[in-house]
Amino acid sequence: MFDFSSNHAGTNHRLWTFFVWTSGILVFAIFGLIAGDVVWRGIGQINLTFLTDSPTRSGRAGGIFPILISTLGILGLCLGTAIPLSLATAIYLHEFSRKNGASARLIDRSLDVLAGVPSIVFGLFGNAFFAVTLELGFSLLSGGLTLACMALPLMIRSTQQGLRAVPDSFRLTAASLGLSRTSTIFRILLPAALPGILTGIILGIGRALAETAALLFTSGYVTRMPESLFDSGRTLSIHIYDLAMNVPGGESNAYGTALVLMILIVAINVTAGLLARMLLGRHIRLSFHQTRSLS
Amino acid sequence: MKRLIVVCLLVAVSGCVSDSTGEDPKTAPKTQKLVITGSSTVAPLAAEIAQRYEQDHPNVRIDVQTGGSSRGMADARKGLADIGMVSRAHKESERDLTPHLIAHDGLCLIVHATNPVSELTREQIIHIYQGQIENWKEVGGDDAEIVVVHKAEGRSTLELFLKHFQLDNSEIQPDIVIGDNQQGIKSVLGNPHAIGYVSIGAAEYEVEQGRDLKLLPLGGIEASTAHIEDGSFPLSRELNLVTLGEPQGLAAEFIRFAQSEAVHDLIEGLYFVPIQK
Repeated sequence: MFDFSSNHAGTNHRLWTFFVWTSGILVFAIFGLIAGDVVWRGIGQINLTFLTDSPTRSGRAGGIFPILISTLGILGLCLGTAIPLSLATAIYLHEFSRKNGASARLIDRSLDVLAGVPSIVFGLFGNAFFAVTLELGFSLLSGGLTLACMALPLMIRSTQQGLRAVPDSFRLTAASLGLSRTSTIFRILLPAALPGILTGIILGIGRALAETAALLFTSGYVTRMPESLFDSGRTLSIHIYDLAMNVPGGESNAYGTALVLMILIVAINVTAGLLARMLLGRHIRLSFHQTRSLS
Repeated sequence: MKRLIVVCLLVAVSGCVSDSTGEDPKTAPKTQKLVITGSSTVAPLAAEIAQRYEQDHPNVRIDVQTGGSSRGMADARKGLADIGMVSRAHKESERDLTPHLIAHDGLCLIVHATNPVSELTREQIIHIYQGQIENWKEVGGDDAEIVVVHKAEGRSTLELFLKHFQLDNSEIQPDIVIGDNQQGIKSVLGNPHAIGYVSIGAAEYEVEQGRDLKLLPLGGIEASTAHIEDGSFPLSRELNLVTLGEPQGLAAEFIRFAQSEAVHDLIEGLYFVPIQK
């Protein structure tokens, strides 16, 4: 019934090659279409004054400078809070807690639930807790902290994955050499888990910069240049949403803003990668080589 | 476990720090602040008026936040906002709040420009939205299924539409549920067999831009901003600012400014219709 001759296998092989390549090209085409559309329609809007001016007429005229600053401020607050918290939690969960212990299970479940909560719920929580209860009002701080809550599960999970990828021989060798747990973590485990940590940070940045629903109720809608972290400020995503949805004639500047946001995401991801490599990568290179030559 | 406690402490400390420094803006010298929240339809207009007001009054900071008409009223009531924005007429049951009319917005039904239907009666519109008329040929159009575009719950345009046609939201059989005007316009532009309802100003602008959109007249009256202005078009809504009781000081001054002729160009720029005094 079945012909297993080399000729048939060859056809099969070619078919699969074709299928795999088509899938790859399709995925790239989807990205290319979106990016191309945004670049094509947005590039005409971008010039120096668009980047350095304040918006007027609801964003249909003027630029996006204060919005860019607010976005960076909120992102900085979010990462500044979420990175230390997520590293600490992931280290606790993976290196210190007993497997399937009560506290680890509780934290794990909470993270799963947090990761599945719709962003609008984070927005309502952020508004009720940060803005009203803690009296931070509509402010960059409320927005940044709300985003940190949203990014936490993503970043903790990725860091855990990173730590899981570090072979136990690293931990055992470190212990047998009499290295303290602190040095083991900071000099061996974290640098070795760097790919996972980076993935987490990049996902976190992506989620933070894309967010609109959670920020509408926390950092707010104000287009003025923020004078402190306690001022309300609009992010690029909210600006795009408002221009596309609420302002007749705002479409072209919505595309301009979208292009700026896209460039910003690429730039931040590249910088984050370089920075993390600089901070953590230096330590491990030596230890990696030593461990490899030992084993 | 020790690490967990450290994490908890960190969170608590960061909370305290932000809480204590949160007082700074209150002690800042003589800057007056006004918070306005509410309807996403009014928000761009209020923000533009606020921007112009700030230019003339350098010591004033006006923060405009959005979130819907209901939120605007709730915030004004609770004192979270000095002024609320509401994109519909004031209800009898809301007498604790004082409305201040700043502009009108008209609603109209829109279809794709290629649709041969150019007028629908009140009954036909009601039956289309109730799902009793499902094909355009029943109202003199092509043999094609009608795609009914409807607004999401909580939108003031939805309330206005339902009230005008005396419909109940549970009777409506929508094919697409949308949030904003622009979304509604895009749905109809993208589907030659769709019918939807949006702000007249926004629809009129799209037609001026040469988009394939047709505004249906209502009761024989053409849907246009001019007919909103003279009060003849039946499907229009008020854009209001609301305050808890009579406004005082800065809030009163800002409302007076928003109702003055100095902002008529801003109102028209957003395709709303200024009030005639």
